[in-house]
Amino acid sequence: MANILFNHVYKRYGKYKEIAVSDFNLSVDDTEFIVLVGPSGCGKSTTLRMLAGLEDVTEGDIYIGDTVVNDIPPKDRDISMVFQNYALYPNMSVYENIAFGLRLRKQPKHEIDLAVKRAARVLEIENFLERKPRELSGGQRQRVALGRAIVRTPQVFLMDEPLSNLDAKLRVQMRSEIISLHKKIEVTTIYVTHDQVEAMTMGDRVVVMNRGLVQQVDTPELIYNRPVNMFVANFIGNPPMNFIQGKLQEQDGHLEFHTNRFAIRLAPQHASAIKKHRLLERTVVMGIRPEHISFEPHRMEASPDSIVTGILQFNEFVGSDRYYHIDIKQDRPLVIRASEGFHCEDTSQVSAAINMEKALFFNKDTEMLLTD
Amino acid sequence: MSLFRRIRSSLSHTWSLYRSDFRNMDATQIFLLILLTLLSVFMLLPLVFIFNHAFKPLHELFLFPPTFFVKQGTWQNFIDLLNASQDTFLPVTRFILNSVIVTVLATVGMVILGALCAYPLSKHPFPGRKVIFGVILLSIMIAVETMGIPRYIVVKNLGIMNTYWGHVLPILALPVGVFLLKQFMDQVPNELMEAAKLDGASEWQIFMRIMIPIVTPAMATITILSFQTAWGNSETSALFMQNDAMKTLPFYVESLTSNLANSVARQGVAAAASLIMFIPNLIIFLLSQRKVIQTMAHSGIK
Repeated sequence: MANILFNHVYKRYGKYKEIAVSDFNLSVDDTEFIVLVGPSGCGKSTTLRMLAGLEDVTEGDIYIGDTVVNDIPPKDRDISMVFQNYALYPNMSVYENIAFGLRLRKQPKHEIDLAVKRAARVLEIENFLERKPRELSGGQRQRVALGRAIVRTPQVFLMDEPLSNLDAKLRVQMRSEIISLHKKIEVTTIYVTHDQVEAMTMGDRVVVMNRGLVQQVDTPELIYNRPVNMFVANFIGNPPMNFIQGKLQEQDGHLEFHTNRFAIRLAPQHASAIKKHRLLERTVVMGIRPEHISFEPHRMEASPDSIVTGILQFNEFVGSDRYYHIDIKQDRPLVIRASEGFHCEDTSQVSAAINMEKALFFNKDTEMLLTD
Repeated sequence: MSLFRRIRSSLSHTWSLYRSDFRNMDATQIFLLILLTLLSVFMLLPLVFIFNHAFKPLHELFLFPPTFFVKQGTWQNFIDLLNASQDTFLPVTRFILNSVIVTVLATVGMVILGALCAYPLSKHPFPGRKVIFGVILLSIMIAVETMGIPRYIVVKNLGIMNTYWGHVLPILALPVGVFLLKQFMDQVPNELMEAAKLDGASEWQIFMRIMIPIVTPAMATITILSFQTAWGNSETSALFMQNDAMKTLPFYVESLTSNLANSVARQGVAAAASLIMFIPNLIIFLLSQRKVIQTMAHSGIK
């Protein structure tokens, strides 16, 4: 059991000192489940591999517990890792795969046997201990990889996109199994993924990264509801947040958001932020999640000042909901998420009410969230 | 009677399997099958010839036109072979013994060296490894004969003339083997090495317990290549062994056959010696054939 600290960690590659990870700071509490998420090439895997000792740290310090581990070889860091392609030893049986680490540490035979059987029981792979990895399905292989990681009861558990090679259904199942496994064994876990659903559902806290830089470290709720910039707002959430560019103006004592086509009234809560940043008569970007726009008549009656009108281009049916893409004569169509009950023909004109209390405003140039 | 019945039923079962295969073939495939069968029979002819020739009595050896199959088989050629060298004071068994010792030493050496060389080239990005690999590839293209003189000087200065080391050392490096093994090791995912590293394995343990078992098919291929190189090598005997007692079987066979132009007496002996030279190759190949085909399929050489 241990906490982890990244202190101004940098990673540069090659001749031209290309930056892969830049000024990474993070403090992970004991038994916490942290998810690193971001698009490919954002440095999340590199960060994990530096913690594992598979990559050198260019600058800064990494602590596991109270020790700086920069120069400690991987095997002495007391960590274990699950890889995307499972990395099971093809020449060994499942049992030997799990036991390998313990054998190398020269543990007595009966202890190894006990530990392997216990891990196998937790992961429900007792029946294929004698098989070779190639005789297993993807999900079973991933369980063996997990077994190999937990059998040593390490201080830290690292997972590098462990579910990416599984099919969608199995991924959902393994996702909940990993969560319950973490609850059971209570080991500090760092989990890397590019899948935002995994990030949101699994992490105690989520680290969103882009181009080697940490964008935001927060609980899934805050990441979703209070993204610090447009990148996070856009990356997390499906379909992503709508962005509309416009100017803030004061009219008859009310604050209004003006685009070239329509104007909507702001909720009173935004007033202080706008005053603080002196944004009146300035161009900003308004962000609004698809589920915070509504076709429901009572909503529209309640807030007649925040209604937008446009042409419905097409809609996507996703089961419980439908996504409506509406052309409101802006850069991008407005996406609205509504329940299945609402029905409307494509290419017809529709109106919808924006829940302005949920709207976020971003600086057009820095793309940062404007806060009080 | 029951045995006969069992054989017949198993034969008819095999035939029905084949028949169902034929039924699914189109004309091109059947044509190819026949063509390839004929070709493989043609490829077998030298083998048939070597085996038959060794057992031919003298008058059959010089028949014209020559025949493939022996009519009156005899062991006389082998007896002659055993007796032949007694007038040079060295029995043929001495050459066979030398060959066995040299071949075992060289084969083991080549396989170990090849694997040790290929592993870092494949999995450890040290500076200059591309250059080193390039040089190794280049050396495949240089004919051995061109290196005769420098080799002679090296062997002489090492003081290993007329020793087994003089046979083994010059052929110990097997660039083709390094190449094959490296290609094979390249396909082993790096994550395997990393997982082993995290499991606590040392570099040597990773090599011995993960890498080598995975590349066994390639190792089998290298073993065959090394064996053939070492077993058929007469050059070191000719260049570095002045002492006849240190020479190897292939040199002896060559010296028997190279005098054939004006000698009819040793024809049968030479045929017997050729067969003895050939048989170990055949055995080794049959034993590891399946693994070799795997390697060829993997390395893209097939």
